[in-house]
Order: sequence, then structure tokens, then C-alpha cells
Amino acid sequence: MSGCHEVNYDTKVFDKPNKILLMGNPNVGKSVFFSNMTGISVVSSNFAGTTVSYTEGKLKLADETYNLIDVPGTYSMEATSEAEEVAVQFMNSKPVAILCVLDATNLERNIKLGLELQNYNVPIVYALNMVDVAKRHGVDVNVNLLSKELGAPVIATVAVKGEGFDRLKEELYKLIKGGHGACNKCASCPASNRREGDSWDRAREIAKRVRKNVDGKLSFIDRLGNNMLKPWPGIPIALFIIMISLAAVVGGGEVLREGLLLPLVNNILVPFFKSILQSFIPEGILLNVLIGEYGIFVIGFEWIIALILPYVFLFYIVFSFLEDSGILPRLSVLFDNIMRKMGIQGGSIITILMGYGCAVPAIIGSRVATTKKERLIVSTVVCFAVPCISQTGALISLFAGFSPILLVLMILLSLAVMAIVSSVLSRRLKGTIDPMVIEIPNLLLPNGKAYGKKLMIRMKHFLVEAEVPMLISIIIAALLKETGLLDSIAVYLEPIVSGWLGLPKEAVIALILGVVRREMAVAPLLAIEGLTALQAFVGGTVALLYLPCLSVFGILSKEFNAKVAVTIGVSTFISAFLVAGLINQMAHLFMSLGIA
Amino acid sequence: MKKKHKTERSNSIYYASDNLSYIITNTPELGILKSLGIVKDACVKKMMTHHFGGPVLIKVESSEIAIGKDIAEKIMVRG
Repeated sequence: MSGCHEVNYDTKVFDKPNKILLMGNPNVGKSVFFSNMTGISVVSSNFAGTTVSYTEGKLKLADETYNLIDVPGTYSMEATSEAEEVAVQFMNSKPVAILCVLDATNLERNIKLGLELQNYNVPIVYALNMVDVAKRHGVDVNVNLLSKELGAPVIATVAVKGEGFDRLKEELYKLIKGGHGACNKCASCPASNRREGDSWDRAREIAKRVRKNVDGKLSFIDRLGNNMLKPWPGIPIALFIIMISLAAVVGGGEVLREGLLLPLVNNILVPFFKSILQSFIPEGILLNVLIGEYGIFVIGFEWIIALILPYVFLFYIVFSFLEDSGILPRLSVLFDNIMRKMGIQGGSIITILMGYGCAVPAIIGSRVATTKKERLIVSTVVCFAVPCISQTGALISLFAGFSPILLVLMILLSLAVMAIVSSVLSRRLKGTIDPMVIEIPNLLLPNGKAYGKKLMIRMKHFLVEAEVPMLISIIIAALLKETGLLDSIAVYLEPIVSGWLGLPKEAVIALILGVVRREMAVAPLLAIEGLTALQAFVGGTVALLYLPCLSVFGILSKEFNAKVAVTIGVSTFISAFLVAGLINQMAHLFMSLGIA
Repeated sequence: MKKKHKTERSNSIYYASDNLSYIITNTPELGILKSLGIVKDACVKKMMTHHFGGPVLIKVESSEIAIGKDIAEKIMVRG
């Protein structure tokens, strides 16, 4: 989640002594350098701009400890964006050295930043990263010559494989101790007679000199990466990847649920707690609240462990893979034309896909949108039409009892709502949407260690963030149902629930719980016996469009304001009842016509 | 796509022929373009333009960049 390390903005860091800054263009692998050198894991992805703010860690060189700071990736030091402003501030905070990561596949642009950094008169070591990829692309870089041109040590590295780090640390240490890098003070130093003028010209000149074209041999993955950018065979490949991802989450989740988790819950966990609690609590309401049909210890295990967890786990396995491999930006390119017709741009597809995991990181992640209007549209779309993975899991389980056609219809419905909401908002809201400009990263197989760490961080986050609201809704559910309170509330909601939506009265519980968490708008439907396919679909529709959960309200008010949160809340609420009710009424109309 | 736009004779990279290198003569004042090296006098290779108002794909050195139609139309090039 991009939310992991962006809140730790503390100006005190500028005053810290012994700072070494880790700098470079976005997506050159800085986060991999940082993890490798400090042992701290950072969430990295294979596209620009994962690190919105900075991260710090301890780096040991010989027997001295330094503060290594992973500065957000920047293309220039012109302070044109928030990330660049942070970078400039760091450069002016008296660091002892800079470790500048250069991407060997993009010499000009990287050398340009490298040259700009020299204006600050801080010793620099350059790491020329991704030399292996550059070679495959037919570019060999003369490292020694580059070092001469830049007037500073340059070390070739392959960060994902851990190559070159030892030499890098050695050079850093030598540089700090010697205090004699690109200090620009001695005449013998080539960097000192830097020409005035455009750093672009100089960067191009250096790049031309150190670059040697060799016979590159594109690997299968390189060629696949290129092919994925063309409509043919890109779109079929993309659809295939989406289908496989869906199948892995849906099918894998079903297997885990039916084969492992449900038996675990029903045969071991629930009976175990039942027997313990029964031994000292007398029969009555309290016992029912704890272990009745809707008891806390029954649905608590059943819903959280068997219904939600397997899907969340599998979603992040798949999504993290898509992220790290560089597939996501390719989807942006392929679907930009459709997104453009919906009033947004291809880059937003990444944020929306993230919403299929959880709306909270998606709304935070929508910060990458360049205009406020786009941010608002993307966040609203996520709230309206994108079910989070917990809810998707619940919906899949609900429809599994009927026909897969229901699931397909639900997907079509959500896509239609997405297109409508986005088109309407893009026409109604003031402001502009910037067209897409994205750099496409190389396609690569994710690095196992980094991938595993990321998965761990995300699951931990989910467990910490979601646990409390889930428990709250389960306690509410148990109390409502087992104390009989539900029946008295149901009377008031009867006209809407039974009349308009045609659902059994137990569905009221879903509507109440759905406010707290999205999947809880579905889970209670699973427990209702004798539900028809139509009722399941109508119930699913209400849940899909219904209010986003409490955490989403929180994040909407925080990231936008209370007005936005309330507006989105009210309009989702209305649209849920409207659309689901219409589906129910129309279905009944058709059925009666059919019979007549 | 190429055929469809041949008549427009525009110097925009969006309508330029695929798989050829061009020198940029004019580009909108945009931080992100500048950052990615899409600046005046830079040499870029046009890869392709996507259908139905999709983005143009260009190559600057080894990096591929996708640019949405509305901006790409304003990037002028010469052969």
C-alpha cells in the first residue's frame, strides 16, 4: 500500500547528522538499494512514484553508522513537484554523501540528474544500475569513462540480484573518509570544468560517449513486454492475465475455503469454543450471543477466517505480482482509450484496480492523479462500483450456491455503473483532467524476497486495520439477531426490504452491518435459507452499490473533506436502493408477463 | 491508423509514421515531459499510435513512454 511510508514526514530528519542520501530518477530501483543496505523492507513496485515521501534507515560502513535516507525519486532538482521539493530540501540539509542511482537503460535522463546533483558540492558515488537489462537492450556502458566524465566513482550494479553492493559500500566509505569526491575544487578534476549551459546538452554528450551499442538479445520477457504494448497481441494477453488473476483469486479462494478453512472452522474451532463456553455459562441470551447460530464465536470465525481471509490473501498475492512485474502500466496504455472516453485517463486504472483490494489505499493512492478533479472522480468510482476483495469474496460465496451467470452479470453491472459515474462526473465537475503521460517500465519477474516482504506487510496491515471494524460488526450482528432486537427494527424497514427489494426480512441485518464493513452487507445473506437467485442478485446489487464502509468515510473526510464523504455516502445509498429495487421490480414484471 | 491520418499532414508525433526517429521541434510546457527527456531537439523514436483515441508510444533512448492523445497531438516533430 502506498500509504505505508508517506505519513512519516518529520522536519527533524533534516537536522540529523551523518546523512547519506539515496537519490535518483523514479523507478531505478532505489528502494531495492535501501532494503539491501539497511535491511529495512520498503514497499517497492515496478512503476514510477511508489515512494511519495522519504524513508530512513541505518547503514553501517566499516564500524561507523550513517543514516541512509531514501529520497523520493526525482527527474530534476527544479522543485516542480512535491517530491522534487523534498529532494531539494534534503540536498540543502548538509548530507555527508550522496549515493545516486543511475539507470543504465536511460543514460541521458539519469546523467542529467546526476550532473544537477553536483551543483550542491556534496561527495557523490554513482551506482549504474540495471546494466544487465541495458545489455539485453543492446547498450553497453563504459563505466570507467563515465566515471571520468562525471568526475566521481561509478559502480556497476544489478540491484535485484545484489550485485555490486560491497564495492559500493567500500567506495562510499572511502569517499566520506577521504572527503575527496567530485569536490570540484581541484583543476585536475574533470567535473570542475563543467560547461555552463543546458544540463541536457551535456548529459546527451556524455551519454553518447560512454554508450556502446552491442548486439542485444532480448529475452522472452523483454519481447513479451513489448508485445503487451500493442493492441495485438497486447489486449488478448491482458484479458488472459485478468482472467487468470480472477480465476486464481476466485477459484483459489473457493478451494481454500471449502477444502481447508470451513472444515477447520466448523469441525474444530467452533466446537472447541462451544464446549468451553457451555461448560460455565448458563443457557440464555448471553450464551446465544456468544455461540448461538449468529453467536460471536460462530460467525466471528466463519466470516473472518473462512469468508474473508482467503480472498484477501489471494488478492494481494496476485496484485503484488502484477505491480512488481510491470504489467499494470501496460494495462494503462491498452485501456487509455476507453478510460479517456469515460472522462479519465489510463493511468487511473492502477488506482481503480487497487480498489478491488481495499478502497482505503486506493483513495490514498489516488494522490498520484495530477488534478483534483481526476482524484475525486477516481475515488468516487471506487466507492460506487468497485467491491473490495472482502466483499467480492462474500459475493462469490453467495452466488456459488446459484449460477456463475450471476457473477458475470454482477461484473457487468459494476462496470456499467463505473462508466456511468465516471462519465457523469467528468462532465459535471469543474476542472480538467491531464492526459496520460507514463513511462513504461521493463517487464520483469518479481524478486522473490522483496515480493514476499511486501505480501507480509500488506497482510499485516489488513489484519491490524480491518480486525476492529470486523469484530464490531460481528458483535452488532450477534446482538441484533440473538436478542430479538432485529425483529423489532425489521418492522420499520419491511416496506423497503420486503416490498421494494423483495428480500426476506433477515436481510435487514445486512443493511445495518453494511455501514460498518462492505462484506458484512453480503455475509448475512449467506445464512438465509431458501434465498432465490433473484433475491441473491438483488441483495448483491444493494451490497455492491451500498455505502462504503466506515474506514472509507474516514479516509474520504481526511483526504477530501466531510462534504465529499457525505455526498458520496448519500448518493451511494440512494443508488443502491434505486438500482437494486428496479432490478427486482423489473424482474417481477417480466416474470408475471411470462406467466400471463 | 497510419492511413487514416495521412491526409492530415500534421507534423504532430501523434500522426507521424511508425518506427521512424524524429527530432522534436516543439512541445507543450509540461514538467513531466521535460522530466522524461521529451524536450526540444531531443531525438525520439515513434513506435505506434493506439486506436480509438488511445495514446502514442514513443521511445526515448531505451525507455518507452506512452503519451495520451491530447498532449501527443501538440508535440511537433521533424524527420
